Amino acid sequence: MTLVSEMVLIAVGAAVINNFVLHYFVGICPFLGVSRKVDMAFGMGCAVTFVVSVAALLSWTFTFYVLRPGAPLSTWIMRAVTRNAEATSDLRVLNYIVYIFVIASSVQLVEMYVRKFFPSLYKSFGVFLPLITTNCAILFACLEIMKHVSIGGGGGAWGAAGGHVWGLPQALTLAIAGGLGFMMAIVIMAGIREELDHCDVPAPLKGPGITLLVAGILALAFMGFSGVDKTLSGLMGGVQ
Amino acid sequence: MPNDGPTPLERFINGILPENPVYRQLLGMCPTLAVTGNMKAAMTMSAAVAFVLVCANLITSLIRNLLRPHLRILVFTLTIAAFVTIVDRVLAAYAYQMSKELGPYVPLIIVNCIIICRCEVCASKQPPLTALSDAVGQSLGFALALASIATIREVLGAGTWFGLPVLAEGWWPAWGIMVLPPGAFITLGALLGVVNRVSSLRSGKPAAAAN
Amino acid sequence: MKNSYIGQAWLVLSLSLVFGGLLAGVQAALGPKIEENKRNETYDQIPDLVTLRNLETGEVLVRADAGKTVEIVTDDGKVAYKVFSADDKHIGWIIKGAGSGFAGRIELLIGLTADASRVLGMYVLDQKETPALGDNIKESEFRDRFHDRWTEAPLEVVRTITGTAAANDILAVTGATVSSESVCKIVNKAVDEFKCWLDARTSAHGDPADQTGPEED
Repeated sequence: MTLVSEMVLIAVGAAVINNFVLHYFVGICPFLGVSRKVDMAFGMGCAVTFVVSVAALLSWTFTFYVLRPGAPLSTWIMRAVTRNAEATSDLRVLNYIVYIFVIASSVQLVEMYVRKFFPSLYKSFGVFLPLITTNCAILFACLEIMKHVSIGGGGGAWGAAGGHVWGLPQALTLAIAGGLGFMMAIVIMAGIREELDHCDVPAPLKGPGITLLVAGILALAFMGFSGVDKTLSGLMGGVQ
Repeated sequence: MPNDGPTPLERFINGILPENPVYRQLLGMCPTLAVTGNMKAAMTMSAAVAFVLVCANLITSLIRNLLRPHLRILVFTLTIAAFVTIVDRVLAAYAYQMSKELGPYVPLIIVNCIIICRCEVCASKQPPLTALSDAVGQSLGFALALASIATIREVLGAGTWFGLPVLAEGWWPAWGIMVLPPGAFITLGALLGVVNRVSSLRSGKPAAAAN
Repeated sequence: MKNSYIGQAWLVLSLSLVFGGLLAGVQAALGPKIEENKRNETYDQIPDLVTLRNLETGEVLVRADAGKTVEIVTDDGKVAYKVFSADDKHIGWIIKGAGSGFAGRIELLIGLTADASRVLGMYVLDQKETPALGDNIKESEFRDRFHDRWTEAPLEVVRTITGTAAANDILAVTGATVSSESVCKIVNKAVDEFKCWLDARTSAHGDPADQTGPEED
């Protein structure tokens, strides 16, 4: 399968079929909290997409070069230090700590960048940006990338396609598509909630209650996309 | 520093229902929706969260006088990430199938708002005993919330509870959607409505829209 | 200013060191157990997957001994498990097959005879199919349909079997044709690739059925 068709499959999968919010349940807190107005939701979606791309770039680099079993940089250091030419490093136990530091740094970087170059935008984002650090969607994207980069001993399957280690293009595609999928879900929800404001929602369900019920119906609708990636990959002549 | 908040016992009881992390504070939604497809996974997750919450609260409380304002969130996050890694490894070693089933949701405990929130609000300002009872109370509340949702989803979706068949085949055809994402959202939304209604009836005022 | 930042960071740095040491200890203690768990996923299935049956009566003739299995890694990183019976006879192979199912990746274990002429069994390691529908590919009802299938012709999925089934027809799971077809496709492809490798190896080493003893390669 060519790189481009693989990237298309990853993008469609992350944005639509396995939507971060409606299928994997990550990013629910901003989904419930920020989805009241469409422009706020759109802004949050953009911010998340931006941060997740930066975080994915950094975390792929770290995972590929330092953390995975047999990674070039850490293996080289280990061999130099222990003077054992056969030693391989496996720093997977430090994965989560590295990822969370990467995410915190990405949020800081993005915040500084936006504050410097788009001050009016920064004013409207305001408190959201630091909040993105605890957004599950970013860590989830990093974990998905990790899953496909540190294949280690889990491979070895026959007749398999796509069991190879992901490079930077695939990782970035997943991150950006996931962010866009999140933005799509949150904007749809904001549009629906703006309409719901005019409706007579029962008091116990006002706010998060009705949002969750509507999200359930949305998830039901998105389930209709199941199996699309299988047909797509067949159409693109790729190995299934 | 003077403890002018609730006593440890009050904090413990608060965590279970009045300030339930899921139903009242609306935190930690991600695992609540993701792992409540069956009771076993839900209880494993609440045990993992309990362990991380208790350890993180304890450590934070012990070093609370050393924390600096700029870096405290970083310190909380570092502590939580370390303990979550430990929990993840222990699960992979001793409960491999369950670890595979829970998948990425165990590391997602790191960004679980409940833990960071409790560290920030309570543990960084209170002595260890108070922090400990707060952590235990919140964990129990979380477990209760997960159990309620998981029971409904598993019984309706698969006819079992903890894997044991509860509904005979003929009584109720397996309502598969309950085990899938839409069922999670709808169950949580419905239960949230029920909890709001009950609490508004008890306090005699119209339900405050918590948004 | 710079001084105070370093001063403030000492707590983060020392905590990092402490936790780093703690995690290293946990990894040293639990790492081997986790690797063992991963291995056992495959090894636990060996006795059930590779069993030679009487083709007429279906009665079990020889069972595999998981402890004697030899792992062979090919040049491009694929893994094949050479399976022996309790009296050291090479009775079959186990290979992992993978591919895309209806809703995600499916990973299988496939048991084969020593010359890869028959599929002896199938076990689902990982799948994300629809619960209660595609999910049933992991149940023994579907898995049993892979006992003793000849590999000369590719296996095909059929929805109903009227009269006698053709030798390479597999009955699909009710309501989950795509998942069943995916499994069949994965089995076919994996077996084809494996047979190529086995033929190449046979012409290099000699007839694999002659090789006895778990100590080979």
